[in-house]
Amino acid sequence: MEASNRAEDFIPAGLASFGIEADEIELAVIGAAHAMFWPAILELLDLDAGDAVPEPRADLSLPPAAPR
Amino acid sequence: VSALDLSLRGQAAGISAGEIEPEELLEAALARIEERNPAINAVVATFPERSREMLEAAPEGPLQGVPVVIKDEWPLPWRAQRFGAAEMLAPTAPGESGPYRALRDAGAVIVGVGNMHELGSGSTGNVSVYGPAGNPWDPERCPGGSSSGPAAAVAARLVAGAVGADGIGSIRFPAAYCGLTGLKPTFARAAMEGHHMAKVSTTIVSGPLCADAADARLLGSVLCGEEMAATEPRGLRIGVVRDRVSEDVAPSVRAACEEAIGALAAETGGEVVEIELADLGPAALATVLIANVEGLGGVTPSRLNSLDPELSPLGRGLLKYRMLLPAAATVKAAVVRTLMRRRVAAAFDEVDLIAWPTVPAVAPPLQAPLVELPSGTLTADQANVRGAGLANLTGIPAISVPVGLSEGLPIGLQLQAAWGRDELLLDAAEALERANGRRWVDSLPPLAAETTEA
Repeated sequence: MEASNRAEDFIPAGLASFGIEADEIELAVIGAAHAMFWPAILELLDLDAGDAVPEPRADLSLPPAAPR
Repeated sequence: VSALDLSLRGQAAGISAGEIEPEELLEAALARIEERNPAINAVVATFPERSREMLEAAPEGPLQGVPVVIKDEWPLPWRAQRFGAAEMLAPTAPGESGPYRALRDAGAVIVGVGNMHELGSGSTGNVSVYGPAGNPWDPERCPGGSSSGPAAAVAARLVAGAVGADGIGSIRFPAAYCGLTGLKPTFARAAMEGHHMAKVSTTIVSGPLCADAADARLLGSVLCGEEMAATEPRGLRIGVVRDRVSEDVAPSVRAACEEAIGALAAETGGEVVEIELADLGPAALATVLIANVEGLGGVTPSRLNSLDPELSPLGRGLLKYRMLLPAAATVKAAVVRTLMRRRVAAAFDEVDLIAWPTVPAVAPPLQAPLVELPSGTLTADQANVRGAGLANLTGIPAISVPVGLSEGLPIGLQLQAAWGRDELLLDAAEALERANGRRWVDSLPPLAAETTEA
């Protein structure tokens, strides 16, 4: 099945499942944000990150302890 | 020339030497805010009696008696932050934030609160509960966000230094748009106590916005609680990447940044090195995802259903959209963070700095914040996040320095360094100022130049 970025499917269903109300203008904003972010989100999900996993309790003020 | 037109360090030195009366400097700053601020809406609150009390109680310190502005992101003992918004999802109250304490203990006088992009969620500064801030170079243009007011205040020479915060470029964007030097310190290096996200954010850090690197060093040292010592940089290896962050850029911006990178290498007897740094696009998105979900812990659907109608439709919509972000993507964002931290660490084995344009185009119009790039027209937010997120995602320090003008508007170059090498960024920025004869850091926007000359 092809991935869909169709806001008319995702947004009303998503908001309804959380019980979040949105007026027409908010829906337009959410639709625009979705159109902007969704293709990039799909690209992110598709990225091969090799053996990288989230660093447990990473100290972001320092370089990573894991091998480079 | 008014003492207000001196550098931050010049004001501090003049007061220390008894050559400048701090009481007069404070009153001059308040008067200048009244005079110039209506054109740019940079300062959204003043409190003369509180400022005078701060001055009266100011201890000896590196900024004794020097007026500064602080972003509307930090509580003060007499004023809760509003985060540029009609309401915040997090509770707020007046109090002593870390930056407030750092400024107070350094003897500085907070003369006003700086405007900011609503909820810190934009790179332009054109949306705020206080109304948009304007760019002193052209008040119809965006000053950058989210630290819009602090940057506009310094560029208009209302004050010589201001405190911002940077979660995804929010110091560097306005520094670039307003022709300033803006430092995003290494994560957790600068004061963050009292920020409503201090305990959950892994991207935000406070930092200075000033006219030049020496002033940013002075104010940055105060915020970091330690002297950021200057060293002469020699043989700098400056890394550049072949990526849209450096190539999908307005031609004038690209030319100015490439010239500055070359000049910095020449000034320090260094070299420009092409490096590999893949997946900057996913890294930028990962930063956005992480920054947007970190504040969701206390948010409920019912809370989102009772948002203040005075919050902008953009703000309301984006707050609700955050709830729809897939958990798998936020976990993947954490994986990408690891990946990019490894890659950045490896890159800094090869080079001292990584450089590319802070923003790909000069400040867009307030009314339509779009930018024209070789790839087409994008919103400024879409375009700007590409080059800014990496530093917040990985924790490394970054600085934006002015390197030119195009259409009468400033161009900013971003330099990034390894964790804890904030001082190197300031050293490099000063070397670049020497290389170009301080041409860009000493350039004044029309708003400041006209009234100063008058």
